[in-house]
Amino acid sequence: MSVALTLMIMLVFMIVGMLIAAVLDTFFYRWLAGRTGGSLLTPLYAAAAEVSRQRISTEAPDRMNWFLSISGFLTLGAIGLAVVPLGPQSVVIGLETSVVLWGACESLVVVLVFLHGWSPNSPLALIGAYRYVAIGLPIMLLSMFVLIAAALPAESLDLRAIVTSQEDLWNVIRQPLGLPLFILLGLSLTLRGPLDYADSADLAGGTSIEDSGANRAGWQVARLSMLIGFSAVAASAFLGGYLGPVLPGVVWLAFKTLTIMTVIIALSHLLARMPVARMLGLIWKVLLPIAFLDLLLAGLVALA
Amino acid sequence: MSWLAKMAGLAEVPVFVAFGEGAPADAASVLAKAPGLRVVETPRAAAILFVVGTVPKALLPQLHRLHDQLPHPRASALWHSRNELPGATRIEEIANISVLLRAIHRDLLVGSLKSEPDFLSDAPPNEWRGIGPHGQGGKGMMGGTPYGRPMAMTAADLRDGLDLDAYTADFGPFLPMLPAGLVLTLTLQGDTIQNVAVAHPPFETQEQRGWVLLNLLGLPALAERMLRATNIGNATVKRLIRLSGARAAIPEGLGRTHDGSDVRTRFDLLTGTSEPIFNLHVQQIGLDDLLIGLEWHEAMLVLNSFDNASLRAICANTSDPEPDTMAGGMDHGVHAGHMS
Repeated sequence: MSVALTLMIMLVFMIVGMLIAAVLDTFFYRWLAGRTGGSLLTPLYAAAAEVSRQRISTEAPDRMNWFLSISGFLTLGAIGLAVVPLGPQSVVIGLETSVVLWGACESLVVVLVFLHGWSPNSPLALIGAYRYVAIGLPIMLLSMFVLIAAALPAESLDLRAIVTSQEDLWNVIRQPLGLPLFILLGLSLTLRGPLDYADSADLAGGTSIEDSGANRAGWQVARLSMLIGFSAVAASAFLGGYLGPVLPGVVWLAFKTLTIMTVIIALSHLLARMPVARMLGLIWKVLLPIAFLDLLLAGLVALA
Repeated sequence: MSWLAKMAGLAEVPVFVAFGEGAPADAASVLAKAPGLRVVETPRAAAILFVVGTVPKALLPQLHRLHDQLPHPRASALWHSRNELPGATRIEEIANISVLLRAIHRDLLVGSLKSEPDFLSDAPPNEWRGIGPHGQGGKGMMGGTPYGRPMAMTAADLRDGLDLDAYTADFGPFLPMLPAGLVLTLTLQGDTIQNVAVAHPPFETQEQRGWVLLNLLGLPALAERMLRATNIGNATVKRLIRLSGARAAIPEGLGRTHDGSDVRTRFDLLTGTSEPIFNLHVQQIGLDDLLIGLEWHEAMLVLNSFDNASLRAICANTSDPEPDTMAGGMDHGVHAGHMS
């Protein structure tokens, strides 16, 4: 498949994925809230209403970093999808170290969310930014452990090789602890539910409290972009990516990405968020040891 | 009409609610059930400022400042309110809320209703006066309230004595995570509360804030479901709350009072997941006893776990801190504060 065609498929995958994610999010919210009626296209209408409103600037903001945080977050989601093989010979960014590139994207999310809270020159936004950094650092460690464990059977840091190594057995079965832990990272990277410490209700919207108009719409689109990028990476690392019978590889990838995305959206509406100190205790004392155990078991299996 | 305006006209109307005195206790429930409306958590996301109840004269400057934070095109509406806001639509009947607000939103988008101008001039609340009560006030480039804007100043952290940036400012009276009317002067180190004073107590209301606790715990859909339910003990709501792990998410012993109750037990009561097993006893407890040392999220959970009468009593019990313990030194009459 040519690079241009692969790029086109990736863009379609991203745009359709974001639309489906927004509709799914609305569906889950309405179902849980007990609402009846109303259109599932509400998020599209809401986006149109947002861009129709004024983009307000605060007093003495950091305009460049405000723009950079939104556009950068959107780009990181796209890079996540770009390292994912859409088929045996089709990937936009084909690197032998694509897992390392994805790890760098994860870390940069922490930087960009911080900048999003820093830029408006507003105290509640800044509290959201600092809190996200506090949670983001241990969550990144957790991600590194489970991704290295997923790479061990392939003996490679190339996502293409990791997908190929799952021809006989998916990593979700070989390493059952890996995917649930990785999904927790997804909740944090996409600022959702129990791990949304940046844009939460106790801060009246946190880092996005001052966003209005196109900035507000842009930040929501960027979050959706990260949801698609993350879900596709998780589908490739743990569910065999494009592997599957009869149907084209990209259809299998889309189906598996949708499954991960649905789980993340459902969890974000169903699970409560604990205060940050309690969550930090849970991550350092419980989740990180479990992630290390996952890596240890994967290492022992690789040596056996 | 452009295709963008047509699509935007189909959107739910984003409404920021400012509660005043005498707001109906079921106002939040009425708004949750109103079709086509979406209550938002910041005025930056709103098209309509909806004032429910009467904002007292002392807090009118904050209401005007709040109004000016809404992006254009914007409008305002009043319900059960004796306030006068230029250009605002007065709503008399509950049944008309949704219809009127949707019509206003549509008219704003197509331009047949003019966006409301600012009430205040786009200028700092004070002149620059250099070092002094409205000037820099601190050391070097830190501290004080230049132009009436509070600035961070280094002060010892109460946990370990490290000199970190303490920030003192007023929060309220329209922040959605604070009980309506409550204005707190808080000194923060990061998100930890170092000092607290009550600048204005919450308005009297019969509102139950179980749904606010759910919202603070990251469960807005469940909060809305609770508001839409006819009784707080609704079996489906109770089951979903249990499944969410909300109770376990609240640290044990958080906000404990003399009667032995804490946020967890009060959460059970407010959400109808348990029967009352204690008589709330808040004599001799102030907000300084409850909030100092807590991080922001915990403090918001504590504040919303009390019924209105108890919280008003706690505010009355709160002792004013020594002026030099509030880093930055606030001047309540003039500074900008954070109402939302």
